[in-house]
Amino acid sequence: MTAAANTIRLSALETKKLKRTGYVPAFLGGGLLAGLVPVLNMAVRSERYVTQSGSPFSILMDANWQLMAQLNILLLVCGACILYHTEYAENGFQRAETLPMKASGLFPGKLCILFCSCLLPICLETLSLLFCCTRYFPEIPDLGRTLLKGMGFELALLLPTAAAMLFLSSLCRNLWMCLGTGVILVFFSSMLRFGNFVMAVIPFAAPYRMLHQFSSGEAWRLLSIAAAEVVLFYAAEMIYTKLRRYFQ
Amino acid sequence: MSSTNIIETKNLTKTYGDFTAVSNLNLHIRKGSVYGFLGPNGAGKSTTMKMFLGLTSPTEGFFQIEGKTYPKDRISILRDIGSFIEAPAFYGNLTGEENLEIIRRILGLPRSAVADALELVGLTQYKKRLAKKYSLGMKQRLGLAGALIGHPPILILDEPTNGLDPVGIHEIRTLVRSLPEKYDCTVLVSSHLLPEVELMADDIGILNHGRLLFEGTLEELEKSAQAAGLPTFNLEETFLAMIDDDNRNRGERI
Repeated sequence: MTAAANTIRLSALETKKLKRTGYVPAFLGGGLLAGLVPVLNMAVRSERYVTQSGSPFSILMDANWQLMAQLNILLLVCGACILYHTEYAENGFQRAETLPMKASGLFPGKLCILFCSCLLPICLETLSLLFCCTRYFPEIPDLGRTLLKGMGFELALLLPTAAAMLFLSSLCRNLWMCLGTGVILVFFSSMLRFGNFVMAVIPFAAPYRMLHQFSSGEAWRLLSIAAAEVVLFYAAEMIYTKLRRYFQ
Repeated sequence: MSSTNIIETKNLTKTYGDFTAVSNLNLHIRKGSVYGFLGPNGAGKSTTMKMFLGLTSPTEGFFQIEGKTYPKDRISILRDIGSFIEAPAFYGNLTGEENLEIIRRILGLPRSAVADALELVGLTQYKKRLAKKYSLGMKQRLGLAGALIGHPPILILDEPTNGLDPVGIHEIRTLVRSLPEKYDCTVLVSSHLLPEVELMADDIGILNHGRLLFEGTLEELEKSAQAAGLPTFNLEETFLAMIDDDNRNRGERI
């Protein structure tokens, strides 16, 4: 069986483990909340933005994305904690380790779920931004493409944070420890949202960045680094899984 | 490895820092037998079983299961083992049936395997209840169902009757006893209660402080105890005297 097929099979199993955990409502609620940010902002002070020059999408992103990104990262933190808490709460993880499957296979399965879950809030946020663009700004050429490119970029930048948070959750058997650490990292990273390119590649800080802040070359470089970071966290998880057997 | 033994260990050792949990263990578990693994709490029974399941790695020595070795054949070994280690392990947010369904899918078993396993441990009528809402005895049964699903050729059961009422203990004991004949499997079952093992096992291994004090049949244990001048009128007395003797030899106060 190929690695990809195996990951899909494991992801399908992982989704079954999420029943009755509140995982989907959390992402739906979080996505709706993040989607409300630009709508409410425009409803109360649209005149402040419609008079600005430049791309409406960039104006809306500059005005709202910091809060929306923070909500997205918080969702990732909660999602990763739920994904591993189901394993550790009643020792299901130990059961999984005694079955003929690689324990390291859990990580890509869970990462796949976490990444797909991000699609829900990102789609809701895209719809919300689309609504604001069409409602408050004159007709914008190529709006769909701009939106998709911009939000696709944000989705990709969430991946390293998802991988980092999953790795952290796999390290902590205690839900409160990984949740607490995750929340601290969210607030710490919000201090790094401005600054140079190096700051932009740090997981937890990367999702605050927006496509229009970078040149095309820089954006591709950032995406490549994000992919490398995911591989790095996956490798770290593999090493941790192997080492754990010697100490437990 | 002898052709009659399905599990063999050679100087199997596990240390944690300067604490030795299992020391130079040489076990021989016959195919198709019920092997009772006896020892007081902390003797190293669970650690040994965890090593067989790849949950922890041996510090020294090795073991063979059906001629396969760890870590090279870990997945292949696990394919042949049904296990229940320490406390029941499950997903609390899922029902008993859903828990077994996950195991069934990983093992690639037919759909009927879940119902079979539930029936075997008497959980059929509670299959739709959330596992976290099960009583301790029901959790124990669910753990057993997870081990028995698909009738694996080797079963490793760590104190499977913990938390069960007398009726439950009797049922599980009868079930374990019947497994080799019914499903042609080998059972390694641990306990710290000799009367418990006495009623189930063909062979026993007695472990204390990580060292194997005795291995053989119950008759051989009696003979060995007689030869060592230990009480033999009651096997529990023999077991306790053997542990006491070993502790004294180690210069410990008990």
